[in-house]
Amino acid sequence: MVDAEPLLDARDVEVAPPPAPDEATPAPAGWRRHRRAIAAAGLVGGAAVTWMGTTGAVDLPWPRAATVVVGVALLLAGIDSALKLWRGERVQTALWLSVAWLVIVGAAALLADVLPLAEAQDPSRTLTEPSLVRPDLFSEHPLGTDRQSLDILGGVVYGARVSLTVGLGAVAIGLVVGGFLGLLAGYYRGRVDAVIGLVTDALIAFPPLILLLALVSALEPSVRNVTIGLAVLSIPIYVRLARANTLRYAERDFVVMARALGGRDRRILFRELLPNVLPPLVSYGFVVVAVLVVAEASLSYLGLSVQRPNPTWGNLIAAGEDSFDRHPHLVFAPGIVLFLTVFALNRVGEAARVLWDPRARRADGGR
Amino acid sequence: MGTMIAGKLLRLVPIVLLVSLGSFLLLELVPGDPALAVLGETATPERVAEVRAELGLDRPLAERYGEWLGGVVTGDFGRSVVPPVQDVSTMIAARLPVTLEIALLAMLMSLAMAVPFGLWTAHRAGAPLDTAVGGAAFAAISMPSFLSALVLVFFLIFNRGSVRLLVLVLGLALAAGVAVRAVRSARRDGGWERSHRLALVGAAVAAGVAVLLAVALPVFPRQGFVRITGGGLIENLRSAFLPALTLALVEGAVFLRVLRNDLVGTLQEDFVLAARAKGMSTPHVLVRDALRPSSFSLVTVAGVTLGRLLGGTVIVETVFRVPGMGSMLVDAIQTKDFPVVQASVLVLALLFVLINTAVDLSYAYLDPRIRRGGR
Repeated sequence: MVDAEPLLDARDVEVAPPPAPDEATPAPAGWRRHRRAIAAAGLVGGAAVTWMGTTGAVDLPWPRAATVVVGVALLLAGIDSALKLWRGERVQTALWLSVAWLVIVGAAALLADVLPLAEAQDPSRTLTEPSLVRPDLFSEHPLGTDRQSLDILGGVVYGARVSLTVGLGAVAIGLVVGGFLGLLAGYYRGRVDAVIGLVTDALIAFPPLILLLALVSALEPSVRNVTIGLAVLSIPIYVRLARANTLRYAERDFVVMARALGGRDRRILFRELLPNVLPPLVSYGFVVVAVLVVAEASLSYLGLSVQRPNPTWGNLIAAGEDSFDRHPHLVFAPGIVLFLTVFALNRVGEAARVLWDPRARRADGGR
Repeated sequence: MGTMIAGKLLRLVPIVLLVSLGSFLLLELVPGDPALAVLGETATPERVAEVRAELGLDRPLAERYGEWLGGVVTGDFGRSVVPPVQDVSTMIAARLPVTLEIALLAMLMSLAMAVPFGLWTAHRAGAPLDTAVGGAAFAAISMPSFLSALVLVFFLIFNRGSVRLLVLVLGLALAAGVAVRAVRSARRDGGWERSHRLALVGAAVAAGVAVLLAVALPVFPRQGFVRITGGGLIENLRSAFLPALTLALVEGAVFLRVLRNDLVGTLQEDFVLAARAKGMSTPHVLVRDALRPSSFSLVTVAGVTLGRLLGGTVIVETVFRVPGMGSMLVDAIQTKDFPVVQASVLVLALLFVLINTAVDLSYAYLDPRIRRGGR
């Protein structure tokens, strides 16, 4: 084993070094002069074209898709220019949009019960609704309906609730348990370190998805059990991260001094080391949540996570798969939401690590 | 060097034991009677007793583990408890090569995508193309593999005609754009230099590839797998292409980012400047001088990835109904065929451990600083 950092990267949490900066390229002067025009044209034109594509104005599949793509591209260009006018040229548009998306998804998941959503879980209550309706953003079923006339938007919102509960819950457990074990291993070294290291290595010896499948194979697939399975997946990541960070601080002057002043182990661990070790762990959380959301979605795509009638992003996609050549929205509506959420979590996670993790900042500063 | 290898192999022993214990103890996690879980609530008491005996539940835990481990060492994983009853080792022998083939193909494809793009974007770091490729790679990393598999199916199988048209139009447009730029800059510079002619050749190649793809885009099967022994190499590769491509998209993006970032650093080093000053051409500097010292992280990541692909194939094997280890595991979990679950988890985990250790060792071999233990 080489060093703590490549080992951390051995999990699929983060294999790539810090971000390709999307702010650094100075726009040519010509572009900058027209910011206002681009912002206005992009926002208004993009909204109009997107609206045209998402309502019935264009009614052939490919032109409709192309219209939406062009509209969204215009809209993004408009938002980008508007943000640059407002916050200066170095603004990271993708980051802002990611934060906004996560806020929307989180709010929708929290408020799922009070939002005016059509029925998404009980097929016996949708007998009079039309089935396999195509998405139309300004209708009763904004993302369409499935074979049983269940509302896709409703399914996606309740799916967000499952994904976020499971992902955040597992990261919280992993952070507390893994962080604590890593802190102990890094502080006491010796035998404690050896035992914790061995168990961690054994957990990491299973390919992540295989470990998850193995755990779920034995347990009933419920939100609680899937959360536990994902937590087991995230614990070794946090053990290594916490251990590596503890090692960095354990020999520093302030720790040595605390010990010389007669500080007890518990005080040194929780009052001196923990405040320094915690920020990088928390900042890593976004990326771990992203990985776990993907893992949960994969599991429920395989039919081994939370089951219907409770919708999850994965089981919605699996249910739509057999007819998605004729009804692509069954797969693409939950699929795009899943992708955007994972993308946003990764993007915010990168920014958070640059902000809070000294190692990431150092690596980034060398660019 | 020798002691280091021995040390690493010695460290493997407890881990392998723990892994096997973990795989074995899966059965103990099952709430209630595993035999009832296998057969369902309606099973006759005689049948339940039979399955309990088959699973060895009537004997103490330690004895069962010893016997199971002894069997595993001799290649005997027991028999499946769900019909058709088979030797688990026979099932694994039939399915492991399929998984390995897909993992290896995915590996080759991702390297084939990552190295050229990595070289080019590092050379043009900060240019619009670099930003665009970097963004695309970031997006690819955020894409769950079952989703990218379905996207590939949607475009390359269900909408093959439209995709061919799109490839033709975009390819020709790109070629025309490159050609026009080359002609313009040649006129501005007042003569045809080597770089202008190269750009024209590039445009011609792009146009040719676009036409070729539009005319002869292969038909990929939606599902299934053809073994080399069953239908020849071409059919075999055709059925393995989409599963491998799905995995390669994500891994290729990871490789690309790792390689690009290392290369950007290497390209600022003195020896690269010296090579440039001596008048070496850009391709020579990039490929001959900069690539090798920049590839250490790539080798590490690639090795780890090969192990991870073994897990990743679970998804693509299910999407494309490929009879490999992954789909066997998923099927066995659904039918509660515990001996098969235990055996496939163990085999995949052991392969993962072995590959990771091999990568560790090869990394030490590649990097002299580690070889001498002077880190």
